[in-house]
Amino acid sequence: MEQIIERAIAKSNADYTEVRLERSLRSQVLFQKDKLENLESSSEVGGIVRVFKDGGWGIAVVNDISQLPERVSNATRAARLVASHGSASVGLVKVPVVRETVRAELNNDFRSVPLKEKKELAENYNRILLSYDKRIVSTQARYTDLFREVTFANSEGTFLIQEVPDITLLLAAVASDGGKNIQQGFESIGEAAGFELVLGREGEARSAAKRAVDLLSAKSVKGGHYTTVLDPHLAGVFIHEAFGHLCEADFLFKNERLAKIMTPGTRFGNETLNVVDNGYMPGLRGSVPYDDEGVVRAKTHLITNGVLTSLLHSRETAERMGVSPTGNARAISYEYEPIVRMTNTYIESGDNTLAEMMSGIDRGIYAIKAYGGQTMFEQFTFSAAYAYMIENGEPGEMLRDVVLTGNLFETLRSIDMIGDDLQIHGGAGGCGKGGQFPLPVTDGSPHIRIQNVTIGGK
Amino acid sequence: MDGLLNALREKVDQAEVYHLKTQAIPIEFRSGRLESVKIKQTEGMALRVLSDDRLGFATTTDMKDPSELIASAIASAAFGEKSDFSFPAETDHSHPDVYDHAIADISEEELIKTGEEAIARLHDAEPEADLNVTINKVIETVAISNTAGCNLEEKRTHLSLGIEARKTREGDIFTIFAEGDARFNEDLSVDPLVDRLIHYFAYGKNIVPAPAKKLPVVFTPQGAITLLLPLIIGFNGKSVYMGTSPLKGRIGEELFDPRFSLADDGTLPRGPRSSGFDDEGTPTVQTPLASNGIIKGFLYDLRTAALAGTAPTGNGYKGGLLGRGGFRTPQSVGIGNILVSVGDKDEDGIIARIEEGLIVDSVLGLGQGNITTGEFSNNVAVAFKIEKGKIVGRVKNTMIAGNTYNLLREHLIALGDRAQWVHGTVRTPMIAVDQVNVVGQRG
Repeated sequence: MEQIIERAIAKSNADYTEVRLERSLRSQVLFQKDKLENLESSSEVGGIVRVFKDGGWGIAVVNDISQLPERVSNATRAARLVASHGSASVGLVKVPVVRETVRAELNNDFRSVPLKEKKELAENYNRILLSYDKRIVSTQARYTDLFREVTFANSEGTFLIQEVPDITLLLAAVASDGGKNIQQGFESIGEAAGFELVLGREGEARSAAKRAVDLLSAKSVKGGHYTTVLDPHLAGVFIHEAFGHLCEADFLFKNERLAKIMTPGTRFGNETLNVVDNGYMPGLRGSVPYDDEGVVRAKTHLITNGVLTSLLHSRETAERMGVSPTGNARAISYEYEPIVRMTNTYIESGDNTLAEMMSGIDRGIYAIKAYGGQTMFEQFTFSAAYAYMIENGEPGEMLRDVVLTGNLFETLRSIDMIGDDLQIHGGAGGCGKGGQFPLPVTDGSPHIRIQNVTIGGK
Repeated sequence: MDGLLNALREKVDQAEVYHLKTQAIPIEFRSGRLESVKIKQTEGMALRVLSDDRLGFATTTDMKDPSELIASAIASAAFGEKSDFSFPAETDHSHPDVYDHAIADISEEELIKTGEEAIARLHDAEPEADLNVTINKVIETVAISNTAGCNLEEKRTHLSLGIEARKTREGDIFTIFAEGDARFNEDLSVDPLVDRLIHYFAYGKNIVPAPAKKLPVVFTPQGAITLLLPLIIGFNGKSVYMGTSPLKGRIGEELFDPRFSLADDGTLPRGPRSSGFDDEGTPTVQTPLASNGIIKGFLYDLRTAALAGTAPTGNGYKGGLLGRGGFRTPQSVGIGNILVSVGDKDEDGIIARIEEGLIVDSVLGLGQGNITTGEFSNNVAVAFKIEKGKIVGRVKNTMIAGNTYNLLREHLIALGDRAQWVHGTVRTPMIAVDQVNVVGQRG
């Protein structure tokens, strides 16, 4: 394979040529209700060629690796076409040449676990979910593993082989009161780890089922404005979705006004707010020793003491802005070119306890975990998985249908307390951007308290 | 593929081979400038087998040596789900127009020109807007064969154009999006998309406060997906079989306003999702879901139909309920072309009759929350305020919440008289409903 790649690159007459090949093995077990919806183990091989010629980018994707040299020609033709239409691309910042092989080190390599064992594991969790309560009407137990071997080479001489393992487990339950009241509960985990991660998760199965049942008798929140405490999981989703994406320099670097808002040195929050994107935390899903441009990982301080200190970069955005790349150019697979993405993104611990955060609140909301979130630049929306009313400093009755929304900049400024209990979470899904989903990432935070959050409800 | 099936016949009771070959040319413009041209040639194969009534599945990109694919599928069938369905023999199917030579022949240069024209028109109208355009030309060949004798192949074209336009100022970013999808080149026109964006910028010039109360909301065709997504999930035969759909056991009941009808039609001539057969080789059909408010039917793939004791509706697709394409995922229930009935009110007339309300074109967090019950609760992304029948400006940081089933039964104001394709799969008019809970930002 090494020879095919080097020969294809050697024959290229583009200004810059890179080839990324991927071999992957994956398996999936999916139970829904009492049915096994999918049980598979599959393999895949494919490659992508990206070239820069006369100021334009051309890309070609192929499954048949023997066609690589032709694809380099296709990509070069496409790049010339782009250049002839006046592309504004600037090329890539200079980085050190790397020649390295990064092997995965797994305790219990999931590739050697028989499919039967994976199936029985998920089946067992599904049985716990289903039998928890007679009001459980539907369940989902999904196990996935993916082992990618990614070979990256470019015309500058970099040649990297990286093994990227990923394993996830999703346990979800739907409960119904027999009428229109239908509620969900879930637990999810995902890491760059071996099969040991998914063992012994019976407690998570029970807690997912219990939550679905408990939510049947939870109250709907009344829409309005509340002082809100976010648990580490929801706060992590918030910082990733609402703030992290704005730090991705690829959508900033051609827009002067947006770039101005996101200028390092600008104050975004209180002195106590520190936000980091850390590309190398072994075992976490977002870890990338080298990114998909062959750039070494970094620990990037996005917000330091409330002030924006850095953005996230690919080689091209770094060249454009005259800064160092941060190792954040990532692609979900060989079908896609690398774009600026997050890795492991989190709010650093502060020094408040949860009790301190609660104590000043007469009437507020303690929002926990996220069903999902979406942002459109400075506007965001998140659904909490569940929540509690805070009354006179104490968490009280359980709430459902709690949807948080607001303006990012105002909300960051309104964070008035940061907990001392950082947790980083890698779920069973991933991050989506530019049609590339799901990218393994993690996000995290301690508990945080935000003043005056708009909560949508009934 | 015949060789592969013959090899399988000796080893398993039934087998199905799905083969997908795709040529795609995605073209990206960023900030008004051409960024990249990509040439994708992908090919993959999926195998389903039934052995002692147990289902096995595997996929590969290795077209030359299927031995690993066969071994994986058979291994998975050893512990697979007990399944009581059969792959279908080949039957007559409709032949909707799904292949357009004009798309097949269109050059990269011409595609780039289309993008440049859209950008030029928008730039003239809104010089400050930042413009991102994506064009994708796709030619795909789907081949399905099985041991029951089915041997189908269909070549399909697809062209899509997405335009994102953004205006930024301190503390405010206004982004609007328009997308067209078609199987035929002449069905995709740039001008209406550009016109819509220009209108929206004009409507959105001023930011106005939104109140916190129950109000009429006019969902544009693009925004109507907020109401329709819970229904798409509710009419999925699998949600019905599993008991999570509120529509379970309600066939024949009038659960919507009599003006509201909903259908799935995979046979629609030139429909962006039309095909002669689904990804299991079942012929596509027209399936009424709700007619004049009365629940008529649900969507089924082979397996769910067998479980529910009913007939498949040609809705066995790869890529999930809303998605399409790819060879990787196993078939499940998916939609074809979703069609909403049109009404008799013109769009301007609907808006003119509203004393106070919102127009919603898109929301954030679509599909999040508890939508199986019909509930939605979203921050608006693109929305405008109506006062005394006139659009007075844009609202932001505003939540809308309600229940689709309740709104379309009790509070339907009107359906627009013009339907529009949105999201590449739904043809719907404007839908105006009353009593939507609106929570604006505190002023």
